[in-house]
Amino acid sequence: MNSSNPTVQRKESDRQGQKKWYSSFTSRPEIGPFGVMLLLFLLLGYFSIPEGEFSINPFAGEGFNALGIRNNFRVIAQLGIVALGAGMLIIAGEFDLSVGSMIGFAGGCMAMILKWGFAVVIPYISFDGGFHFEGLKLFEITDVSPLMALLITLCFTLSFGWFQGWLIVKSGIASFIVTLGGLFFLRGITEVSYRAFNRAPDQTAGSTTVTELPDIKNIIIVPGHGEMERDAAKLLPNDQLLEILSKVPANTVAKLTEQLTYINEKVANNKTALAAKKMIETLEKSLAGAKKSGNDSMVDILTKKIEAGVEVPPVAAKAVTDIDIAKAYIDTIFTARPVANFFGGDIMEPVFDWLYFSVDWNVNMYGNMFAKGMYSCLMIWLLLALVCYFVLSRTQAGNWIYSTGGNLSAAQANGVPTNKVKISLFMFTAFCATMFAACQVFEVNTADTAKGNLKELEAIAAAVIGGVVLTGGFGTILGIILGTIIFGIAKEAFFYIPGIDGSFYRVFLGAVLVTAALTNENIRKRIIGSL
Amino acid sequence: MSDSKKPLIEIKDLVKRFGNFTALNGVSLDVYPGEVHALLGDNGAGKSTLIKVLAGVHPATSGSIIIDGKEGKFSTPRQATDAGIGTVYQDLALNALTSVTRNFFLGREIKKGPGAFGLMQMKEMNRITIEEMAKIGINISNPEQPVGTMSGGQRQTLAIARAIYFGAKILILDEPTSALGQKQQMEVLKTIKDVQKLGHIAIILITHNEIHARLIADRYTFLSLGEVIGSGLAEELGGDDIKRLMAGGAEIGDLRDELGA
Ligand SMILES: Nc1ncnc2c1ncn2[C@@H]1O[C@H](COP(=O)(O)OP(=O)(O)OP(=O)(O)O)[C@@H](O)[C@H]1O
Ligand SMILES: [Mg+2]
Repeated sequence: MNSSNPTVQRKESDRQGQKKWYSSFTSRPEIGPFGVMLLLFLLLGYFSIPEGEFSINPFAGEGFNALGIRNNFRVIAQLGIVALGAGMLIIAGEFDLSVGSMIGFAGGCMAMILKWGFAVVIPYISFDGGFHFEGLKLFEITDVSPLMALLITLCFTLSFGWFQGWLIVKSGIASFIVTLGGLFFLRGITEVSYRAFNRAPDQTAGSTTVTELPDIKNIIIVPGHGEMERDAAKLLPNDQLLEILSKVPANTVAKLTEQLTYINEKVANNKTALAAKKMIETLEKSLAGAKKSGNDSMVDILTKKIEAGVEVPPVAAKAVTDIDIAKAYIDTIFTARPVANFFGGDIMEPVFDWLYFSVDWNVNMYGNMFAKGMYSCLMIWLLLALVCYFVLSRTQAGNWIYSTGGNLSAAQANGVPTNKVKISLFMFTAFCATMFAACQVFEVNTADTAKGNLKELEAIAAAVIGGVVLTGGFGTILGIILGTIIFGIAKEAFFYIPGIDGSFYRVFLGAVLVTAALTNENIRKRIIGSL
Repeated sequence: MSDSKKPLIEIKDLVKRFGNFTALNGVSLDVYPGEVHALLGDNGAGKSTLIKVLAGVHPATSGSIIIDGKEGKFSTPRQATDAGIGTVYQDLALNALTSVTRNFFLGREIKKGPGAFGLMQMKEMNRITIEEMAKIGINISNPEQPVGTMSGGQRQTLAIARAIYFGAKILILDEPTSALGQKQQMEVLKTIKDVQKLGHIAIILITHNEIHARLIADRYTFLSLGEVIGSGLAEELGGDDIKRLMAGGAEIGDLRDELGA
């Protein structure tokens, strides 16, 4: 017999190979999306650097200047919010096509309530003076706070999410069909409501937008004036502005003065530099002209002049006036509508201030601050992602979600309330859509019926690119986040690549989507042992 | 085996209809603690249906299930497990995509915190999983590995260990050996024998393998087309009786002649 080393009994654990230090990273299913994301970031960084300039610093270009970061992450965060809901639902084995329409519905609902108030009306048929409808008003709130508008909207959207989930688990109809119904139903209801509420007294159909909402997130309490919009406060007559300033503590005034001085100097310096640059350009143009016409002496003079460098008179910095300080002070007053600000305002302002005043980076070409902060939806996305991560990977509910999608009958046999799991997740996608809508409405103070169009498909695509398998049971929050970033950044990155049509980003995303789906399916098969 | 013992579970006149189709038509049987009760019968006889009713997956149309003298009415699997019925299904009710530990505790996770959002105590759950699997003879090296990567015998043991750990007094095994290789079949039979020796657990074993049944069964019940067509103690039944009844009462001899012709 040639058995090796018969004195040592081989154990099951001997069959487990030693792990390399990096294998826990490279064997994660997110490694693919992570690579694609890095590639896109590099493309965006590299190609957004203006022509003629050379830099290996990807932050040197427009793609990653402060404003670029602010705007790109808004696109990513908004998609991310709905992708989390869609992804979790797919992991549980269902999906929701009504997300986009739900965004439109929720936004419209919120904006209409903010504009016209909220009332419960019971319609009935009246024959008084001919057959027509009458309404019996049960109660009415005329001045609805942002929080109240959000809560009322959530009542509608969560109920609708619950209803879709309930219908799907009770009837066994595919979620594709039920939520496709939801897609049409909600978009229709939204359009109908917009027109009905916007209807003019002459009964012509109204528009499908809500505009002229106040800038709620920027309503502040101005000393001596009460609540008003920030922009209106800055337009107050000078004597009133000075009176406001007279009550501001001295050290605040000193700090604001210092900041304004810094800004004015910076603007002046940049103006000087711009003037110099313009002059050089003019000289170079003349030089080119002189060369063309063969005026050698002129070429000589101009070349020397350019080599010597130009001297432009420095632009004097604007003096800081008390009016400026008063306006700057108004800018620092904290909002009186924290809920609206939470959804539609900015975050990380101190960081962006620091980047401008101390790091000297967040500066546009005129010397002013480029971006004042990040959009609040970024914070909402990250908060939601954190919660989802904990729920999915650490809690009992997470294990239930995975098993509901992974093996429904096994989950049921072990007492997992799979119907509750699914219904809750349909409500969660509705919740995410409402959060998306709240971010939009409170940011731009308008709403229209087209909002959220196609978002349901983008959310599904982002989740799939991030490693979620459509048949359920497989995927992670980290993957969904990466998929979202890929989806959100691709358009920007392709826009900057010279010589190609910007729409190639769709071609790229299509290919990535299908590749991702194939890879996911392979990983899944390997795990369930059929490969 | 002594008949003086009280049965742990008594099933009386159980009827189960799926619409017009009668899957079980008045089935009665008793199972005693410390005994392996083999439930035998042809494909479609209703064996799986019977245990699904016992496990609370399907409600019974009529009839009664008495556990420890108490009438049991199960409308959910949870109620059946709480009453002490632990079921290991033909498909094992495992989620191949998640880890051994997550499957071991599926539906009964150890957690700290409010409701379903309590944090799972992964370390403790991993430890218990390794211990309980080792108790019935399988050493797993990594409780975080997906169940899909385990062998058939390991999966079977996982399902049995899980049922026992969660307080099964009545362990129901639906064809536990059907998909396994020779060595793993014997391992599973040994596991069942170990469980039987514990003495307080009643085991219902469904199998198509006559040899396996003879190796470990103490008592037999034969089902055919949803009805009991025979039952008895192991020592009372001859090998030919078992063969004949397993095939739904057809004479094996006749069949042999037919095949020969
Ligand atoms: N949910 C159901 N709806 C309708 N008919 C069913 C259902 N479940 C089982 N049946 C029918 O009940 C009969 C008994 O099925 P069952 O699965 O109990 O057989 P079995 O004895 O376990 O067979 P096997 O040995 O092949 O596993 C079959 O004819 C089957 O088609
Ligand atoms: Mg069966």
